[in-house]
Amino acid sequence: MKRVNYCFSTKLTFDDYVHDHSFALRIIPPETASQQILSCNLNISPYVPVKQTVDAFGNNVTTGYLRDDHRFLDFEIKGTAEVDCTKRRTDYMPCYLYQSEYTQPDDALRDFYRAHQDGCIGTAADRAAYLCDILSQTIGYQKGVTDTATTAAQAFALKKGVCQDFSHILISMLRMDGIACRYIAGLAFCDGETHSWVEYWTGKHWEGIDPANNCPVGDGYLVISQGRDFRDCAVDRGVMYGKYTRQLQLVRSILS
Amino acid sequence: MGTISLEHSNRLYWLGRYTERFFTTLKALGSLYDKMLDTQHGYTDYLGCFGLADTYEDNAAFLRSFLFDDTNPNSAAYSLERAYDNGIVLREEISTTSLSFLQMAKDTLEKAQNSTNIRLSLLPLEDILYAFWGCINEHIYDDEIRNIIYIGKTVERLDLYMRMKYPYPIVEKEFIRLLKNLNRVPRSTPFRYQTKPLSELVEILGTEADYDRESKRAISSLSRLFEAGEVSV
Amino acid sequence: MTALHQEQFTKAVGNAGEINDLLRRYGVKFGIYKNGEFKEQFFPFDPIPRVIPSQNFAQIEKGLIQRVDALNAFLYDIYHDKKIVRDGIVPEDFIYISKGYLAQCEGVTPKNKIYSHISGIDLVQAKDGEWYILEDNLRIPSGASYPLIARELTRIAAPQAFEENAVVDNRGYAQLLKETMEYANCGGIRAILTPGRFNAAYFEHSYLAEHTDSVLVQNDELFVEDNILYHRTYSGGKTRIGVLYRRIADEYLDPLTFLPESLIGIPNLMEAYRSGNVGIINAPGNGVADDKGIYYFVPKMIRYYLGEEPILKNAPTYLPFYEEDMKYVMDNLEQLVIKDVAEAGGYGVVFGSELSKERLEEFRAEIIAQPRRFIAQEVIDFLDLPIIDNGDTVMRKADLRAFVLSGETTKVWASGLTRFSRNPDSFVVNSSQGGGFKDTWVLSR
Repeated sequence: MKRVNYCFSTKLTFDDYVHDHSFALRIIPPETASQQILSCNLNISPYVPVKQTVDAFGNNVTTGYLRDDHRFLDFEIKGTAEVDCTKRRTDYMPCYLYQSEYTQPDDALRDFYRAHQDGCIGTAADRAAYLCDILSQTIGYQKGVTDTATTAAQAFALKKGVCQDFSHILISMLRMDGIACRYIAGLAFCDGETHSWVEYWTGKHWEGIDPANNCPVGDGYLVISQGRDFRDCAVDRGVMYGKYTRQLQLVRSILS
Repeated sequence: MGTISLEHSNRLYWLGRYTERFFTTLKALGSLYDKMLDTQHGYTDYLGCFGLADTYEDNAAFLRSFLFDDTNPNSAAYSLERAYDNGIVLREEISTTSLSFLQMAKDTLEKAQNSTNIRLSLLPLEDILYAFWGCINEHIYDDEIRNIIYIGKTVERLDLYMRMKYPYPIVEKEFIRLLKNLNRVPRSTPFRYQTKPLSELVEILGTEADYDRESKRAISSLSRLFEAGEVSV
Repeated sequence: MTALHQEQFTKAVGNAGEINDLLRRYGVKFGIYKNGEFKEQFFPFDPIPRVIPSQNFAQIEKGLIQRVDALNAFLYDIYHDKKIVRDGIVPEDFIYISKGYLAQCEGVTPKNKIYSHISGIDLVQAKDGEWYILEDNLRIPSGASYPLIARELTRIAAPQAFEENAVVDNRGYAQLLKETMEYANCGGIRAILTPGRFNAAYFEHSYLAEHTDSVLVQNDELFVEDNILYHRTYSGGKTRIGVLYRRIADEYLDPLTFLPESLIGIPNLMEAYRSGNVGIINAPGNGVADDKGIYYFVPKMIRYYLGEEPILKNAPTYLPFYEEDMKYVMDNLEQLVIKDVAEAGGYGVVFGSELSKERLEEFRAEIIAQPRRFIAQEVIDFLDLPIIDNGDTVMRKADLRAFVLSGETTKVWASGLTRFSRNPDSFVVNSSQGGGFKDTWVLSR
């Protein structure tokens, strides 16, 4: 068990005024069997009233609507949580067994899985660890070559990517192997930005694995959201009107 | 009903304008037709009102273009198409029956093209248009919303009458009609008049002499009557 | 149709032109894209109605209510406990590979647990008189407005026909729809959401809005604030919407939940819906139940949820997914009709008998490669219906789309859209492929 302080902020800036801005944020960490949220403060600027709901995947969703002209939207959460991975999560959904938008393999990725299928033996944990090893030998960690729209197949073709891409490729392969798994967006000690990793279903409970670092997930990881892939977990999604041509997003996170 | 979007209120305004433009154009072409029976190129004054050059071979070519050519933005057919375009998205506001008169007008105009006596075959259009306005009056229950289409109608009529240099008494009458409609518009709604262009209009249309001298300025003031300005829908 | 009706209508055909003139006058159109250009076409109407005797209709009615009730129970189950999967009635694969299944709808319970408020069930009558279900449409079935306005106009053009036959009035559809909308209303005005005038069914959207006293809206007039859906009025105010009859597809409904690139959706609509602040007709996620692959399981659903025997039959269907069925399909491919489960609107339907030898073999390989993608059905020997073609009466294939409305109770509209193929060799009756429509008479005796 570990007590952690977390802080996560995003600054969204536009090069011209926007208005009628609807947004949905997934930034409030969920209370689960393995993490207890002791405190959580949300600040949004400019001020806008918000509502909270819980989506189909168990994520806290914060929605709001900013009608008036504005050029930025900042939000920040801060709080304390107690993480204990020995307490298992069991919120299974059958859809996690099936490929989704970002994880749909192409022929190359499918062939790659087939080439290593023989090594996939033993328990789900064994297989996940094996596939993670293979991935870290095949894919290089590199920033700037992929973005949030990159799919598993595209990142695999590049043989490069960041944590999100590692997660998507691993998920794609685990699902080909018949193991249900999900995408996790969260905070980890090793990172200054948001991190992403994978949870696979052992048959009884979820178990975390971090493909970008090729290591198991311990108490140093705080889950912010989960889903079939990145799309279900995007920290912020928004629709706004205006003549802006660019939006700049700055993300900062601390876990201590 | 009771709730109408900005988009629909604009459509309603332009439905009023285009329907009136169609009707006034049709009537003007009717009297031109009569004049042209005695005069070759009897339409040049009419073209002059709109700043257009005479590129037509004869009376018949002019008439064909201004009645039926929907690519000519000054034609009756063009205005009717635009009226229909605006009407089609207002079915639940103005009713299927009101809309059916626009469809009938389109069909009648189309049929008239091949008629041996064009003017005679255009006559039913007058009946159809009056029926349309009766139907509009009947079906738009909310006074505030109904007023929008009438504002469109009177603004268009006043604009065309001034462009066609109608005599002052007729223009004055239409202007007073418009003032009555404008007075019914609540504050802070899109068809609330702008004070400056309205006072210009009041000034110019106050006397016959000012009207004769400054009708161009009046047309320009009229086009700036609403904040939204001339947003063509 | 009895000889009596036939004769009356041949008499009334003098009015066929008049009826079509009336339909034209009232703008009964549907939109179609030809060579990339939007065109509005008048929907060809045939004056000879399809006639369903009252006893026959009573049977269809019972069967449709049973079917739609089971489908609604299925949808609730799939998005909650999934008992039917756990009990092994429907294989899990069929649910989660279906494009119509939306994981984002898991756990969302629509008001009164009704998912499919307006169901369009397509049936055909075989030569032996038996009715078969061809397809369920539980997302945004269209077409009710056409027989509705056609009836209004044929009663004007051919009054005698109605004087002499006891035809159940179908003009209560708008009232029925209004009641259905009210039952799903979470407090506010009724609104119909259209993608706009360039949609094939725009006539219908605006006609139904007019006749149900609903506001016809497009997405840019709407916004969600505090998880409540509002209509933005022209003077800058807002009016709360309690029920939204949306005529746009699930994936485009909310760019913050579904396709981010959707330009016709309403951001955060799903959060308003999840919070119980607005009813959506039909519920998002219904596509999982009207999937061509799931169709096979509907009779099983009826037995499972209602403990009843299905009253209406499915067309005999085979799923190549099952080994036994695959064998049958391979052995009989040239006499079956094969449907691609991912396609709609009459596309992706292939008759084995129409394929060349080579194409048949290619197709066989496709089915073996992707068994889940196809279903195979026996070709039903349709009962042809008479239509007037250039003054002659000719026989053509036709189907019937019945409309089932689920509100406080489940009701079948005593009419429906009968579509026919104008091409004598075609089995496909879809309006987007050039078909026409007829009125459907249900007799009161």
